[in-house]
Amino acid sequence: MRETPITKTVIADPRSHYGNGPASTRHFITQRVTGLINVVFLGLLLFLVVRLAGQDRTDLVAVIGNVFVGLPLMVLIAIVAVHMRNGMRDTLEDYFAGRMYRLVMGLNTFFCLVVALAGIGAVAKIVFWG
Amino acid sequence: MSVRARPTSPHLQIYRWTITMAMSIVHRATGIANYAGMALFAIWLVAAAMGQEALTAVNFIYGSWFGQLVLFGFTWSLVHHMLGGLRHWVWDFAVMMEPGQREAMAWATLAGSVILTLLIWTVFVWAA
Repeated sequence: MRETPITKTVIADPRSHYGNGPASTRHFITQRVTGLINVVFLGLLLFLVVRLAGQDRTDLVAVIGNVFVGLPLMVLIAIVAVHMRNGMRDTLEDYFAGRMYRLVMGLNTFFCLVVALAGIGAVAKIVFWG
Repeated sequence: MSVRARPTSPHLQIYRWTITMAMSIVHRATGIANYAGMALFAIWLVAAAMGQEALTAVNFIYGSWFGQLVLFGFTWSLVHHMLGGLRHWVWDFAVMMEPGQREAMAWATLAGSVILTLLIWTVFVWAA
């Protein structure tokens, strides 16, 4: 599924390389930093689910509607989405290349955007409009 | 003239199964599971934003035996991926990489994830 096959001339050329170095380092750092922040997200998630699972809407709005819960939750959902897209990219790079890779990577971005926007939008609605 | 079976590509089956390799595979698998599982959290939030009726419906599905089974698996998946990520964080400082150490950390990830998940469900669900 590789678009351009790797030939001897490509390997012999010292200017050839496998990918974008700075972008890969950024990918690595981003994944580690967002991953560490996700530990905080898991704590908040555990608190919310334990406190609110099966509860009525009024109870839920009272907890998530609190700005000090709702706003951090929105930020953390965004960070989780970045971590999701970054992590799935690692997997996709292992199995796809060329046009197919660009297609599945587009689907990946789409899914992460939808989850982030739906989650953040829902929390924003609860925080600002009840 | 007998036709020989063509050799298959040497893949996972030719390697001796090690705990570090298993935990690496599980780290990726749980990552993918968490990727899908985040949609469940988003659906719950969206239902809550929409109104009581939608929230009641979602609560009914998540509260059913199948929903509880999925949420239990999701809990373990999240905990395992978190511990696996912390293990990578430790390795980033180029420590705990020697033979024995890395295996010990891999076993700790597995044992820790099971213990933490059972602890969370015992304290907050079964005993609550």
